[in-house]
Amino acid sequence: MSPDLDVHLAGIRSGDAQAFGAWLAGAEPSLRRGLRSFARQVDVEAVLQEALLRTWQVVPRFESDGRPNGLVRLAQRIAWNLSVSEVRRQKRQPTTDPELLEAGLDASQRYEPNLPDPLLRETIERCRDKLPPQPKRALELRLEGEGRVPDATLAERIGMRKNTFLQNMSRARKLLQECLERAGVDLREALS
Amino acid sequence: MSEQGDAREEDALIEEVAGAFRPTDPRHLAALPAWHDLSPAGREEAFERSQVLRAMEAALDPEGYSSTVRAILRRIEDA
Repeated sequence: MSPDLDVHLAGIRSGDAQAFGAWLAGAEPSLRRGLRSFARQVDVEAVLQEALLRTWQVVPRFESDGRPNGLVRLAQRIAWNLSVSEVRRQKRQPTTDPELLEAGLDASQRYEPNLPDPLLRETIERCRDKLPPQPKRALELRLEGEGRVPDATLAERIGMRKNTFLQNMSRARKLLQECLERAGVDLREALS
Repeated sequence: MSEQGDAREEDALIEEVAGAFRPTDPRHLAALPAWHDLSPAGREEAFERSQVLRAMEAALDPEGYSSTVRAILRRIEDA
C-alpha cells in the first residue's frame, strides 16, 4: 500500500520544517518526474524549488479532500501552473503537443512514494569510498553546499577552475552509476 | 573550438544545471544562467542527470534528504 504523505500535514501546518522535510523527501522524486515534459522549455529545478516553497506558504490554507496525498497533488498543480506561466512569460509556444502535456500531468498524478532503501544506501556508500580523490572531493563539496552554494564558489574553495570542478563532478556521478550498476542497481532505469 | 571542446563545454554546462543550486530572485523565477546556454537535448540530459543525482544525494544523506530538499529547508529557515 502506498504511504500517505499527508501524515506529515499536522506538523507542517504547525510550522515544523522537519515535518516538511520528511514530506519533501517522499514527494520530490514524483514531483520532478511529473515535470519531464517541460525539460526543454523551463529550468525544472528552479520551477520545482519555487513550487515547493509556495506549497509551504499555502499549507495553512490547504484543506484536504479526504483522499491520500492531497498536498502532493496540490504541489503538482502549483508546479504545473508555474511551468506553463514560465513558458508563456518567455513568449514561447509550448513545443510539446497539448495532449502529451496533459498525459504528463496524468502521469505525475500517479504518485509513487520514495521509500528509504537501506540496500541502496549501503551500496552507494561503498561506491563513494572507491572514488578517486578529486571526483570524491567534488561530490563531497556539492553535498556540503546543500544546493545553496554556486559551483564556482565550491571550485574556488579547493583551488579548482569551475570547469575542472564540473568535470570531476561528472566523473563522480558516472563512476557511482557504474559501480551501482555492477551491484545490480540501475538508477536511470529505476527513475524513468 | 574543436568538436571535442564543444562537447566538453556542453557536458560541463549539463553537469552544472543538473546540480541543485539556483539563484534566488524575488521578482521572478530564477533559472540558472547555464540553463539558457544549453541546447534542447542538453536540457533534457540535465533533467535526467538531476533525477539520478538527487537519488544519489538522498541515499548518501543521513536523513534521506537530497540537495533540493536541503536547499528548500534552508530557504525556509532564512525567510
